[in-house]
Amino acid sequence: MLRAMIKKIFLIGNPNVGKSVVFSRLTGVRVMSSNYPGTTVEITKGFLVHGRERIEVVDLPGAYSLNPASQAEEVAVSLLKDFPKEDSVVINILDSTNLERNLYLTLQLIEEGYRVIVCLNMCDETGHRGIELDIKKLESLLGVPVVSACAVTGVGIKFLIERIGEARAKPAKATGHLERWREIGLIIEQVQRLSHRHHTFREILEDVSVRPFTGFLIGGLVIYLSFKIVRFIGEFLINSISDPVFYNIYEPLLMRLSRVFGPESFLHHLLIGDLINGKIDFQQSMGVLTTAPYIEFAMVLPYVLAFYVILSVLEDVGYLPRLAILLDNLMHKLGLHGYAIIPVLLGFGCNIPGILSTRILESRRERFITSTLISIGVPCVALQAMIFALLGRFSGFYVGGVYLVLFSVWLILGVILNKTLKGYSPELLIEIPPYRLPPVGVLFRKIFYRVCGFIFEAVPIVLLGVLAVNLLLYFHLFDFISAISAPVIHGLFGLPKETVIALAIGFIRKDVAAGMLIPLGLSARQMFIAATLLAASFPCVATFVILLKELGIRDFIKSLLIMIATGFILGAVLNFSLLR
Amino acid sequence: MKKIPLTQVKTNQKVKVAEITGGGQLRDKLMSLGIYTGIEITKLSHFMMKGPVTIKSGRSVLALGHGMAAKIFVESHD
Repeated sequence: MLRAMIKKIFLIGNPNVGKSVVFSRLTGVRVMSSNYPGTTVEITKGFLVHGRERIEVVDLPGAYSLNPASQAEEVAVSLLKDFPKEDSVVINILDSTNLERNLYLTLQLIEEGYRVIVCLNMCDETGHRGIELDIKKLESLLGVPVVSACAVTGVGIKFLIERIGEARAKPAKATGHLERWREIGLIIEQVQRLSHRHHTFREILEDVSVRPFTGFLIGGLVIYLSFKIVRFIGEFLINSISDPVFYNIYEPLLMRLSRVFGPESFLHHLLIGDLINGKIDFQQSMGVLTTAPYIEFAMVLPYVLAFYVILSVLEDVGYLPRLAILLDNLMHKLGLHGYAIIPVLLGFGCNIPGILSTRILESRRERFITSTLISIGVPCVALQAMIFALLGRFSGFYVGGVYLVLFSVWLILGVILNKTLKGYSPELLIEIPPYRLPPVGVLFRKIFYRVCGFIFEAVPIVLLGVLAVNLLLYFHLFDFISAISAPVIHGLFGLPKETVIALAIGFIRKDVAAGMLIPLGLSARQMFIAATLLAASFPCVATFVILLKELGIRDFIKSLLIMIATGFILGAVLNFSLLR
Repeated sequence: MKKIPLTQVKTNQKVKVAEITGGGQLRDKLMSLGIYTGIEITKLSHFMMKGPVTIKSGRSVLALGHGMAAKIFVESHD
C-alpha cells in the first residue's frame, strides 16, 4: 500500500485559501474558519480515515512563503521543517481565483523536496470571475498531482483523498525569488485564461469599502447596524423565549422545591437562595438553581448568540480586513497597526480567542500591547450583557458611559504603552479578501459551535461559582475580606464594602460577579463605577492562564501590574469626579 | 525617467515598481506577496493623514502602511 509510508499529512497554503475547511472535510474535526487571513493561529491535528488506514493530518496557519513573517507563520514553517520529508505528504492548498500569487509557495515547496499534492480550492468561484484553468496542463508543468476542489461544498475532496498516495517529490533545483516569479509567469500564461467581464455589484462594493470617504461611511454603518442587531436579537430572545420559560415554567417548579426544603434550611440557602417577599427573585436570590441558571441562560446566552451571529457574518463575508484599513491610523497611535483590530473584536466575544489571535501580529511588542489592552479595555459579551441589564434599568446613558470610559482608558493606556515600551511596531501589510457570501449551513454550524462552546465552558463554572459563594456567605467567611478591604472599596472607590465580594468573584466569572451587584442596592452612579471597574480591572482566571501562556512570566507580571494600577486609578478618578 | 514613492502616485493609476528601499526583510515580505521590481501595480486608494495605501497586484488587493508605501518607488510618467 502506498499510503503505509505516509506518517503525516501537512496542510499548507497562503492565508485565507480555506485550509481549515479542507481540514474539516478530511478529518471530520470541526475547526474555526472565516474569510480573513489569519483565522488559524494554532496547530490543529486530526486523523484521516480511509479504508482501514488512519493517518495524522496537521492543519497549519497560513504562510505566503517558507520565509516566515509572523509568529503564526513561523510556527507553521518550523513544524513542517522539523518533520522528515520522506515520511510526510504536503497538501498544498491554493486559491483557484488567485493562482499566480499562490504558486510562489508551491514552487518553494517543490524545490525543497517535499512530497507535494496541489489542491486548487474554491474552484466554484473561478467561473463567475471569468477565470478558466487548465488543470491537466498545470499538473504536467508542476510535475506533482493537481486536484481541483470546493471544500465548502465538499466537491473534489474524495478525489483528493484518492490521489494523496500519488504525491511525490520532484527533483528540482533551488532558484532565486525573481526566477521563481518568472517561472510562475510562464506557467500562468499556459494554464490560465481570463475573459473580460463587466464589474459586478460585488466588485463595486469591494472597491468602495477600501476608499477613504465611502469606506468610512460603510464602516460607520456596519458598526451601527451590528450594535442595533445584537441588541434587537438579544432583547427579542429574552422577552419572547427565555423570560417566559423561566417565569412561567421553571419558577412554579422551584417554589414547590422551596416549600419542600423549608426557607431556613441549609439546602434552601444553597440551591434556592433568599426569598424576596416570600418569592423567588431570579436576579437576587443567588441560589445554584435560581440565579445561576437565570444569569447564564436568560441574561447572557441571548446576547452571546446575538453577538456571534453578527461576528460570524462579518468574518465570513470578509469585512474585517477592511475595518483594519479604516482604523490603521488610530491604531498607530497605540503602537499597533490596523490588523490588531481583529484580536480586539474577537475579545469582545471572549477575551481568550482574542488574546490567542494576537499571534497574527508580528512583533512581541504589538502582542503585549494588544493582549494588555484586551484584558483591560475589552469586556467580554457575557459581562456586556450584564452591563446592559444592570445599567439599562437606570438609563441608557450609563451603558454608553461605560463604553466611553473603557474606550478612553483603552486609548490613553495604548498611547502610554506606545510611548514607554521599547522597540518599534511594524506596519500594516495585509491582503484584502474578496467579499464572499457564506452558505447558510456553514454559517449556522459556526454559530452553533461557538454558542455550544460558551455553554460548556461557562455553565459549570457559574454553577460551581455560585455554590462556592453561597458556602462562603453561609459561614460568614466574606466578612473578614470586606472588613480589611473597606478602606479601598469604600474610601477610594465610594462603594459599599460588600462590593469587594462581587469584584473578587469577577476573577472567576464576570457575569456572576455583575449579578452579585444586584442585591446590594447600589445607586445608579455606584453601579456605574462598580460595573466599569469589573470590566476594566482584571480579566477572569481563564484569561489569565492564556495570558501567562502567551506572554511568558515576565511580560505577564508587567501586564498584571498595569491592570492593577489601571483599576485603582480608574476607580478613584470615577469616584471623585462623579460621586462628590 | 523619474522615480516617485507610491504615496505620491494618484489613485487609480497603474504604475511599474522601480525600486524597493528599506531592509531586506521588507523586500522579502513583499516578494512573497508578488510585489517586486518590474511588476505593475494599480494604486486603489490612499487614506489621509499618513494613512494606509491600498493597491491591486495581479488578482490580489493589498493594504500597506504609509511608511511601507513610502519605501516603494515607482516609475513616473511625467
